[in-house]
Amino acid sequence: MAAQMNALANRAESNTLRSEEARLRAVLAERLDIQTRFASLPGTRALLVSPIGAGLPRGLVVDRSANAAERISLYVHLAAHIALKHDLPLVTIVESRAEVTSGDANGHRDADQLARAMWWGTPAAGLRAGWPGRRSRLLRPFLANRPVRSGLRVVLQLLRGLYYVARANRLLEGTFVARWLRDALCVTAVVCAAPELVASSRLERPRA
Amino acid sequence: MRLQDRERVSRAIRTLKGDRSLDSLVDRIYAITEGSVMLDRATLQRVATGQTRVTRAIDSPEDCVRLYFALMIVGCEQELTLAEIVGEGRTMLAGFVGEPLATLVFADLRRTLPKLTDRRTLREYLEEGLRVWLPK
Repeated sequence: MAAQMNALANRAESNTLRSEEARLRAVLAERLDIQTRFASLPGTRALLVSPIGAGLPRGLVVDRSANAAERISLYVHLAAHIALKHDLPLVTIVESRAEVTSGDANGHRDADQLARAMWWGTPAAGLRAGWPGRRSRLLRPFLANRPVRSGLRVVLQLLRGLYYVARANRLLEGTFVARWLRDALCVTAVVCAAPELVASSRLERPRA
Repeated sequence: MRLQDRERVSRAIRTLKGDRSLDSLVDRIYAITEGSVMLDRATLQRVATGQTRVTRAIDSPEDCVRLYFALMIVGCEQELTLAEIVGEGRTMLAGFVGEPLATLVFADLRRTLPKLTDRRTLREYLEEGLRVWLPK
């Protein structure tokens, strides 16, 4: 059963998630002047290196093992750091897989809080950070609870499977239903990878 | 640039180069810095053996910082310990640009180092650090 669940989760690394990841990476490049590359970073999820002067691009290195949903949540979190002006010249922001050190904890907590507002499309946060929010607020209360969001993810994946098996895509492609299903799957996968996007409780925050 | 402590810089360069010959070090630095640091063989030879305080082709603090990152990347390739790479890299930078600027540039590595658990991650950090210092 666990293997089947994992297989389902892996299938969720869908084109939708991958294209959303690419879209947000492009947003980082265009709006925040961040050049992203991927490399093996044992113990670390990402490094954001800021140059000495304004107007020069920042460099982002993301761990190659991070899946699309994790990358999306990282991009939102890093955009929040930048909106909060944590990217000082010659300062590297390290997104570690381990527990944050006490000196960094406040910065990451503030970034989590703003990232949450940006992700759900709170107008003030979006304007502040120049970030495209999700605005799928209908899902938010369901995703706040770990068992419910895991169940919801499985249900949405089954629905997507049915959608293609029944060839409903021929009828529904481009409609509100198809767009909503795609968006819901993406939001659910990202929140499963980064529960801090819904949870304010530290109990649900495994990340650094 | 004029070196402030040629013997210490010489020792740092010799430690960071590990088993590499000085010739291959010149080529490697050129490759790592995408041609932006063109240290000639004779000058590097004299700096690495502590025979000169003057380094041709390293004219600006930016060149020194690029050389600092490049030499530490070389150190990562030579299986040196993290402490050796970081300590000798800092010494080399201070020898080139002086303590105040070296402290400013090095401060980020000092803060970041405890969060880098692996030499590969350190190397990626150094490569990204170098990239932001490359001329546009």
